[in-house]
Amino acid sequence: MSVISEGVVRRKRRRSRFVAWLAGDKRAAVSLVFLLALASLSVLANVVAPYSPLEQSMDILAPPSAAHLLGTDDLGRDVFSRLVHGGPMSLYASFLAVSVGVLIGLPFGVLAGYLGGWIDTAVSRVIDTILSCPSIVLAIAVTGALGIGLTNSMIAVGIVFSPGLARLIRVQTMIVKGELYVDAARTFGLSTPRLVFRHILPNAIQPVIVQVTLLLATALLAEASLSFLGLGVQPPHPSWGQMLARAYAYMEIAPEQMYAPGFAILFTALAFNALGESLRSLLDPTRRRSD
Amino acid sequence: MNATVPTPTPIVAVERVGVHFPVSGGRTLKAVDGVSLEVMPRETFGVIGESGSGKTTLGRAIICLEKPSAGRILHQGLDPYALSSRELRRHRRRYQIIFQDPNAALDPRMTILKSIREPMDVTGEMPERQRQQRALELMERVGLSPDFASRYPHELSGGQKQRVCIARVLTLRPDLIVCDEAVSALDVSIQADILNLFAELQAEFGLTYVFITHNLGVVAHVSDRVAVMYLGRIVEIGRTEDVVLSPSHPYTEALLSAEPVALPSNLRSHSRVMLKGELPSHVSPPSGCRFRTRCRFVQPLCGEKEPPWRETAPGHWSACHFAGELPIMSGAELHPVKLGGHAAQPEGRA
Amino acid sequence: MSRRTLRVIGWRLLQVVPVIVLATFAVFGLLQLVPGDPAAVIAGETATAERIVQIREMLGLDLPLWQQYLHWLGGAVQGDLSTSLITGLPVIDEVLRRLPNTLLIVVCALILAISIAVPLGILAATHVDGRVDRFVTSIASLGVAVPNFWVGMILVGFFALNLGWFPTTGAASLTEDPARALWHAALPAIALASSGIAEITRQLRSALIEVLSSQYVRTLQAKGLSQGRILWRHGLKNVSLTLLTVIGLVFNRTLGATVAIEAVFAIPGTGSLVVTSATNKDFPVVQGVVFVLVLIVILCNLLIDILYSVLDPRMNKQ
Repeated sequence: MSVISEGVVRRKRRRSRFVAWLAGDKRAAVSLVFLLALASLSVLANVVAPYSPLEQSMDILAPPSAAHLLGTDDLGRDVFSRLVHGGPMSLYASFLAVSVGVLIGLPFGVLAGYLGGWIDTAVSRVIDTILSCPSIVLAIAVTGALGIGLTNSMIAVGIVFSPGLARLIRVQTMIVKGELYVDAARTFGLSTPRLVFRHILPNAIQPVIVQVTLLLATALLAEASLSFLGLGVQPPHPSWGQMLARAYAYMEIAPEQMYAPGFAILFTALAFNALGESLRSLLDPTRRRSD
Repeated sequence: MNATVPTPTPIVAVERVGVHFPVSGGRTLKAVDGVSLEVMPRETFGVIGESGSGKTTLGRAIICLEKPSAGRILHQGLDPYALSSRELRRHRRRYQIIFQDPNAALDPRMTILKSIREPMDVTGEMPERQRQQRALELMERVGLSPDFASRYPHELSGGQKQRVCIARVLTLRPDLIVCDEAVSALDVSIQADILNLFAELQAEFGLTYVFITHNLGVVAHVSDRVAVMYLGRIVEIGRTEDVVLSPSHPYTEALLSAEPVALPSNLRSHSRVMLKGELPSHVSPPSGCRFRTRCRFVQPLCGEKEPPWRETAPGHWSACHFAGELPIMSGAELHPVKLGGHAAQPEGRA
Repeated sequence: MSRRTLRVIGWRLLQVVPVIVLATFAVFGLLQLVPGDPAAVIAGETATAERIVQIREMLGLDLPLWQQYLHWLGGAVQGDLSTSLITGLPVIDEVLRRLPNTLLIVVCALILAISIAVPLGILAATHVDGRVDRFVTSIASLGVAVPNFWVGMILVGFFALNLGWFPTTGAASLTEDPARALWHAALPAIALASSGIAEITRQLRSALIEVLSSQYVRTLQAKGLSQGRILWRHGLKNVSLTLLTVIGLVFNRTLGATVAIEAVFAIPGTGSLVVTSATNKDFPVVQGVVFVLVLIVILCNLLIDILYSVLDPRMNKQ
């Protein structure tokens, strides 16, 4: 059998498994469609949005109409356009935070889990300490130190995520490290880095993928909170959390303004969570019933 | 102890090796405690003992998966732990192991072909095409159809997976293969196939085996010499037919007796020796002779002094104060039909 | 309490010490994250050179790092968390003045969450895969994904602005006017409880299902014990430890969630303090709040560990 046909077979098999998964879990399928729609909307924000998100007008706090689908805000900006342009901000924020978390957490977790001994003890203690601080408070403190802004605040959130991820990958590494195929690979003369990249990481990563999906929702909520508090996205740029902050200031005049951004956050977070839970039960059949 | 005439260098010499693990409360568990043996080129050396005897740990120590806490292991006269880590990685490729559970020994995320190629891919000495070629040849040699190449381990049966492990090890042309209960997880019908495959491959590639098992039938079938382990120590060692037909240690007698016989009860020997009690703790083994708590011939001396090695026949050694003096039943008495016939000269070998 | 339990408690207390020491490192290290010259950053872009020098000396930024740390630690041990750069008042006073407002809504939220989530979890676990279970699970998924400050906003809009049942903003002292304090705390506590309810329900449901489907409980059912009795004697007792762990986790998260909730309800608590001081680069205050909150969480975890060892003698082996 040639290498090429082998690859084709494998890809085919993978695709059919993917289809079977989505067919079996409607919630995951809907979530995936929603997130893909959100992603394309974010890429095409300039085309889809009828107005510039920054363009002000004299039409202040207008109710929804044909011209302004979701009305206008306190500076006369089109709420729908701001909502659409807030999408890429939120996705960027979520992925940035989770990437930072993985980039810091993964190496430390693998190191502690693989080496064990005093390094493991030290890393675990540091993880315990950081985890005993309420995460959003720590994120705010780190944002304050790094400087206010979307990127800095999401790096802060990522730093706060890293100990949890490190703890997860540490346990996984310890489990996989004891597997016989790792022993076997050692007798073939694999060096430690190769052992980690070829055998340990691929077999330890599954729960991390699930956790990362769930953390995307957490990051989204954190971004919303931080932007609501004025530590994230800076005006005049739109973000869902910051739109909520403005809507709240004018709640007595235009209460309907707080619904659109809130639902946008809720649905996106729901989609990430549903996808994560579905992945979890897909990867771990023993949990399917109880979770 | 010097069981064989040391003309050729042994493939492996185990010298008073101990493997100790720390357990809670600051105590140590001596899984292997002062074991010595030598394995000669092209020999099949059997290690037998019940679970917990330390035989698996000994096997892992022989191929450097477990570092000895005491004593040393010599590979053809060379101490692998004196090598630099890079040299050790190259050197250890000649000392391989087949694990009990073929399912756990294969990375579930690698195709069969990738798994078999892996040992060759590590050094990348041969060109890619040649590695591919050799992996496919070896698959065929161990009796696997090339269709399996792109499959994953979970799609194969236990016996097929064990064949994959064997092919994978053979890519390295090893000097020694430790077979750690290599057939005991397989169906009985497949066990014989795999054992025959081992025998064929030995003749073909000039392999040396250390065969670790709790199954006396397997050991009697394949081994030239055998060591009996109990609680981290070797209690008896010698040529297989000597040990099986005329055991000189009471523990070996009990092991032989425990072997199930596929005979109707009226044909079975009535003389069974039952082991009493549980395996004592490794953390605080009995004083003197470790087997004394379960021995049917126990004497006061056994608790006072560790038994010295006694040679009851040329090359047949026993760690018992009374070796050669006890009324131990012979293998023929214990297994009148089964062992009487073929144990002296296992088929398919010189 | 047995002697053994006491020994476990002593051991846990000892284990807390290194965590607290590490926490002081972490809190002190926050300032090291500031890019460039911290004094210049703190002073702001319009500050004069003198002001920068003044800040540097005030914070001891001209000293070597380990001396700065020892100086800060020395103060912290004596209860001195330095002074605010903006008001010039001692940080510890400000934190302690605001802490009761925060703890009040957190504790109310926790009580609310437990008293709603426990029946929900039991209901779902005893009707696995039924309509009730699916409904409860959906509510729980919603609770995890909803931004709690948005829930707060909706609550204000409906119950405070429309109906006028509750005050929109502010807080009152529990010691001076308990009724008014609770009245003020009601809406923030409900908003805070949303994610706690979801988390506790989910975990309790999973744990209960596991226990109820165990071989052991099936044997009891076969013996003819009533469902209610099995649930009470074997189910809840066995999951009480899981519940304890979840509550510890939810306490930590709820404490964090106060930052946005306090902003919504304009509550003068530690959450709003950390936000304003981080915005204003008032680092001594930020460090002080973080340190006090970490201490509270560590003590809470310690309490849970001790309860654990009292409830479950198996844990005492160590």
